[in-house]
Amino acid sequence: MREKTEEKNWLLAPSGEPRGYIDSQALTELWFHTGTNCNLSCPFCLEGSKPGDDRIKFITGEDTKPFIHEALEMGVEKFSFTGGEPFVNPHFVEILGYGLEHRPCMVLTNGTEPLRNQFGEVAKLLKQPNPVSFRISLDHPDPELHDASRGKGNFSMALRTLGLLHAEGFHVSIARLMEPKEDVDAVDAGYAKYLSEAGLPSDITIIKFPDFQTPGSIPEVPQVTEHCMRTYTTEETRHAYMCNFSRMIVKKNGRCGVYACTLVDDDDDYDLADTLRESFEVRIRFKHHRCYSCFAFGSNCSEGT
Amino acid sequence: MLSSDILELVLERDGIDFTPGDCVAISHADGTSRPYSVSSSVDDETLHFVIRRMPGGIVSEWIAERKAGDEIEISPPFGWFRPSRSGKKDDPSVFVATGTGIAPFLSALRSHHEMAPKCCLYGVRKKSDAVEIDYLQKRCPIRLCVSGEASPPHHRGRVTDLLKEIPMSPETHYYLCGLDAMIDEVSTWLEQHGVHFTRVHREVFFNA
Repeated sequence: MREKTEEKNWLLAPSGEPRGYIDSQALTELWFHTGTNCNLSCPFCLEGSKPGDDRIKFITGEDTKPFIHEALEMGVEKFSFTGGEPFVNPHFVEILGYGLEHRPCMVLTNGTEPLRNQFGEVAKLLKQPNPVSFRISLDHPDPELHDASRGKGNFSMALRTLGLLHAEGFHVSIARLMEPKEDVDAVDAGYAKYLSEAGLPSDITIIKFPDFQTPGSIPEVPQVTEHCMRTYTTEETRHAYMCNFSRMIVKKNGRCGVYACTLVDDDDDYDLADTLRESFEVRIRFKHHRCYSCFAFGSNCSEGT
Repeated sequence: MLSSDILELVLERDGIDFTPGDCVAISHADGTSRPYSVSSSVDDETLHFVIRRMPGGIVSEWIAERKAGDEIEISPPFGWFRPSRSGKKDDPSVFVATGTGIAPFLSALRSHHEMAPKCCLYGVRKKSDAVEIDYLQKRCPIRLCVSGEASPPHHRGRVTDLLKEIPMSPETHYYLCGLDAMIDEVSTWLEQHGVHFTRVHREVFFNA
């Protein structure tokens, strides 16, 4: 394994102790960032996405194919897509269709107009040889709280889209925000009546995420050192970190880079390489504040295939 | 200004490619941005936008103060609302717009001269807010609804008063653009009258 950089801030925490790290094992999931353009402007968006935003550019079919092929050679089991809002990317349905020719796929979407206006095209993807699942954000089980950030009527539309996708035959799940010290089961139970209304199964998967802060934030969080990793993690828990088994392709300034995971695309130290194989030769240090979220809360954007 | 609170912004095209229905995000000097739909043809040498000047609106007020020759930062075009995907005689469409929500329909009609929507319901507050009404009347049967004043022979009231006049058929696509309340009301009505949701295409505008 080699270090991405020999810079002190990459290698050492402010205390001078070596930062914790992951030496990745094998690629099982490959993520694509479809671009930071989004139809919504949620104030808490960890990507800072909004209409017209192009911090991360629209990825195209031609951009994705070399990485899909390389990932298949490396034994990848699944492709996943996030944004921005993937369905704002004009190439997205084509990209997803190509991914589904090879492996199961998952899409993170807000379930609003960009998806709804293309539902007819999306429904055709059921004929592809692999299944696609959709994870839709319902931030809170209280529609008013959800709509306060995402716009009036948004909860209702996202819920309805979940129901339509499920009725069409797609696998669906929910992403929600997680408050510190919340009663997890009680919050999850708050969705029950809405699930029933939309014809969704009561045991639908609900993925919880802490507040990751907006891009470029530098919140004060505890530093994850090698000592922390030795003391508080095991080989098994280390294997669960996304940077151990996945990568994300991000397009900035006309170039696609291989990033360590879905949460660190605002820090170019995590732009590991031009190819997936090369990225697996790089030791991933826990420098980003979101690395602490993974360490402390077990955050994981992935989901079973 | 096209009326007391609606203006047309014209920008140099500068090689920008777009599809009718696309928006661009226009940025205020402080970085705040808002999306606006293009209203011009794909063949025009300039990019046109129909913008409501919102009292206190950070971006629209700023745009209204720009002068000829000023530079404005815009994003690349983007969009998911495609009123020109249908609209030919064998692939019918109906347009419903309120306020500046007429912009993507103007772009589609100006770009595709063969388009012939079966009907266009167009709602405005004042008759003077109706943009390019003469052009629209030449291109399709149009019902103008004026909610804030009497303006004979036009309907006084909202577009939702006239939903029963919308041509209904299973093969028709319905394109809705405007404020969320109108879009939700029309979508619900269409679905209650048997229109499959995949034939209802929505573009929600927000007042900001």
